Amino acid sequence: MKKLLNIALNELLLLRKDRMAAVWMIILPLAMTTIMGLVFGGFGGESEPVAIDLPVVDHDGGEMAAMVLDILSQTENLQVETEYDEETARQLVTDGQRAGAVVIPSDFSTAITSGQPTALELVVVPGGQTTPLLEGMVRGVTSGFSNVQTTVEVAISEVQRATGSYDLDYEGIANRVVATTLERLEDPPVQAQITTVGSAEEEEFDIFGQVVPGYAVMFAMFTVLSAAGGILEEKERGTFKRLLIAPIPQWSLLGGKLLAQFLMGVGQIALMFLAGALVFHVKLGSSLLGLALITLATCWATTSLGILLVAVIRSRKQLHPITTLVILGSSAIGGSWYPLFLMPKGVQQVARVTLVAWAMEGYNRLMILGGSLSDVWVDIGVLVLYGAVCFGVGLKLFRFKEA
Amino acid sequence: MMNEPIVAVEGLVKRYGDVVAVDDISFQIQEGEIFGLLGPNGAGKTTTINVLCTYTEPTAGQVAVGGHSVTAEPEEVKRAIGVVPQDIALYPDLNAVENLRFFGRMYDVPKARLERRIGELLKLVGLAEHAPRRVEHYSGGMKRRLNLAVGLLSEPRFLMLDEPTVGVDPQSRNAIFENIQALNRQGLTILYTTHYMEEAELLCHRVAIMDEGRIIALDTPQNLINTLGAGIIHIGIKDVAEEMLTRLRALPQVKAVARRDDTLAFETVDAQRALLDIIGLFNETDTPMTSLEILEPNLESVFIQLTGKQLRDA
Repeated sequence: MKKLLNIALNELLLLRKDRMAAVWMIILPLAMTTIMGLVFGGFGGESEPVAIDLPVVDHDGGEMAAMVLDILSQTENLQVETEYDEETARQLVTDGQRAGAVVIPSDFSTAITSGQPTALELVVVPGGQTTPLLEGMVRGVTSGFSNVQTTVEVAISEVQRATGSYDLDYEGIANRVVATTLERLEDPPVQAQITTVGSAEEEEFDIFGQVVPGYAVMFAMFTVLSAAGGILEEKERGTFKRLLIAPIPQWSLLGGKLLAQFLMGVGQIALMFLAGALVFHVKLGSSLLGLALITLATCWATTSLGILLVAVIRSRKQLHPITTLVILGSSAIGGSWYPLFLMPKGVQQVARVTLVAWAMEGYNRLMILGGSLSDVWVDIGVLVLYGAVCFGVGLKLFRFKEA
Repeated sequence: MMNEPIVAVEGLVKRYGDVVAVDDISFQIQEGEIFGLLGPNGAGKTTTINVLCTYTEPTAGQVAVGGHSVTAEPEEVKRAIGVVPQDIALYPDLNAVENLRFFGRMYDVPKARLERRIGELLKLVGLAEHAPRRVEHYSGGMKRRLNLAVGLLSEPRFLMLDEPTVGVDPQSRNAIFENIQALNRQGLTILYTTHYMEEAELLCHRVAIMDEGRIIALDTPQNLINTLGAGIIHIGIKDVAEEMLTRLRALPQVKAVARRDDTLAFETVDAQRALLDIIGLFNETDTPMTSLEILEPNLESVFIQLTGKQLRDA
């Protein structure tokens, strides 16, 4: 056992002496995690809302037109621009520099207060991504003014019927209705009550909750399988033979190397999670024990896969491209790059042959879906079994001595 | 009185499928001896060492090292031997001390003794000043010397060196020779394999010449050289009549004549005088010569005489 530990320590010393190890194990994974997190989400989960620049051309200049501008200006995600004339505004839309533009006709205020039909014009290009959003916003505004106009008509009609007089202050009534409507816009008497259920924190999708474990698993596989390839390197260099003719049991020799590979994998994932928590504020979920067990099971399975690959592939030249293919392929379909539960069912089924899928399912359940340890027992069990099968077959096929 | 041999090999055979790497060899190595295995690449030297160090199981035969069977008691054999493999079996990313410390732990050398031993060995192989440097920055000769030091860590009774001077500069080669002779004077028994005959002549008390898995000669270097007599003459020919061969064999300075393909090999009493007689007879019979060579009496000539092949490109 002492020799096994000495061999493992020597492997870790060799890792520390390897100048490229820091790049592969720390700098590259963190850089990739940062880039992917920023590309697919936002830093720390907080993203700036997208503002749509909307030129508004006011030919009216009246009180109702001012009200339209006021409402649009207060609308979230809209940045109203009033400095353009109509021709320029239309050209900006045509050129694709603006998603749309609003034109307020010259008789807009008069028409509203006199009960005459009128229209706000929304200029858009067909098929624009934000066209439905702008349409909805402008329809909302026009709907409000239609209500105002209807209310003015009804109010005047009722006053006429009650007083029998047609000599009324139409404009004054209309202005009062509009003023009241505006007040009510601030504090509507009938409100929509939006009820949310469950925890807002759990439902919010934090991209780093996916990217950090995804890249941690992928780079842990690179680290572990690269270290496994070190056995072939030692065979080629002659140090493996030198150890075989020393008074060391074979199980100590191989066990020491596998222990070191396992610890490298655990260290890699732990480092990524630590950086994820400190730098990217990733939420680790409610079960740290579950995370630890998933991590240990993942590294066991990866280490065992390594000994299997080294047993089957007997030259480093062949091993390198094959391990790269295995790692990238299983990462792609196993959920390292994109949440497994959002993938098509067929892909999810195929992905079950990879250890990455079981690892990522466990991490996703704990870190994104708010699961507990009891939700990941199956994933842990499958990873342990996966490792046991690879280890058994790998050990059976592994050749300590070359002819 | 002959001591108990430290190595006893009897009828050793090693086959890899249809390939016979070692073909029924027997020899013994006495305590305190430097024993050379001389032969070209592929002669079976490394396979023999692999069996002696328990790395390879023999197909047949009995092999004992330090009184322990390599097949029945491999752990005892491992503890009695030191091996300096042909490969530079070191960790290039570690420095000399880290390499020695790691391998020392593998041989269960106690910590205090190991640190002392590391200092002694670095001094012995002349690397004390370079100890903190990574091995990857060492020259080929320095790596070979450190390779030797690792083999000596466990203070073995019997050291096997497999082509320890391959790719080494003359200075490092001389340093390795001096190390080996000094270690032997301290009582270490050494098995030395090489395909450089001058190394075997210089270092070894006895030499076994191997070719194609077999031992074709075994004796002290001087006795082997003495078998050549006063010199060997090789004469290239296109054709020679049986009558001519009879007349050549009858020359007074010629002990024996062997025909091998297009070459006649003359073992002589006196090479210079014999040459005059031989040339005279060739001129008299108008027999053409295609080449003429007088072989220096050394192990290389012994190998050529025994096999008809050059040692280095056999």
